[in-house]
Amino acid sequence: MNVILSGPSLLEKMAFVFLAVGVLTGALVTITRKSAIAAVISLVGTFCAMAGLYATLSAHFLAVLQVLVYAGAIMVLFIFAVMIVNRDDAHPIALRGLFVRAAGVLASGYLFYRVAWIVVRERQTDVLATTITLPIPDYGNVASIGRLLFSDFLFPFEAVSLLLLAAVVAGVMIARPTRPNADMGTRTTSGGGAV
Amino acid sequence: MPGHYYILLSLALFFIGTTGALLRRNALFVLMSLELQLGAGSLALLTFARGLGDQKGHVVAFFVMALAAAEVAVGLAIVVSVYRSRRKIDLDAINELRN
Repeated sequence: MNVILSGPSLLEKMAFVFLAVGVLTGALVTITRKSAIAAVISLVGTFCAMAGLYATLSAHFLAVLQVLVYAGAIMVLFIFAVMIVNRDDAHPIALRGLFVRAAGVLASGYLFYRVAWIVVRERQTDVLATTITLPIPDYGNVASIGRLLFSDFLFPFEAVSLLLLAAVVAGVMIARPTRPNADMGTRTTSGGGAV
Repeated sequence: MPGHYYILLSLALFFIGTTGALLRRNALFVLMSLELQLGAGSLALLTFARGLGDQKGHVVAFFVMALAAAEVAVGLAIVVSVYRSRRKIDLDAINELRN
């Protein structure tokens, strides 16, 4: 076919730039805040912007799940944990062993640079050229993803449900406030021996 | 948009998550940085799924989401339990396994 593929439209570019700036700003704010609740709120914004990016990749089902699961459920869990723990650290950046940590950051930055260089070099390949037209008509919506989940990926799906059950039981067991053998009157709210 | 912008964004997000996990000493912030890294991985999966025209990447991103939920549930339970017994969640100060 001799269809000349036009580049992305102005609206698409604007949406991508807006969402990408939102994701990066939210992530940077998340890891630099001193107060944990501010970090959680900015992480919610990051995940909402990532849901928008998923929608621009025509992954509609995953975009909805991102808002529901990540920005909803997981962040509520984080807020509960912050409310229980609620301790702003006076020195948020670890100063002890800073050399080793800086070496780690530099190494991961070098990895980022190398992989980014490869991606930019290979940007003309077919895999990285996202076109306007969808590969199949109902690409990425609930019906087709659900059909795939319940046919090819049925066993991993059931295994994940078992894993979630195990995680719930483990979470209740670990975070239980009283000792199993303690008598009913004494609740160990402070001091040692929670588990 | 061409896919390599998405991949570069995913790389930058992963780098930010790695930096946060390495530099912060509060356990809650380290868990949030891990969430950022998982999100970056999901974004790369969805980008390549779109480029290849295959929906299996969506299914894997779905499983990543379920795994992240399980990981956060257990991880936050551990953080709360450690805070109850030690009154601190500083990862540099928690260095013994016994109760």
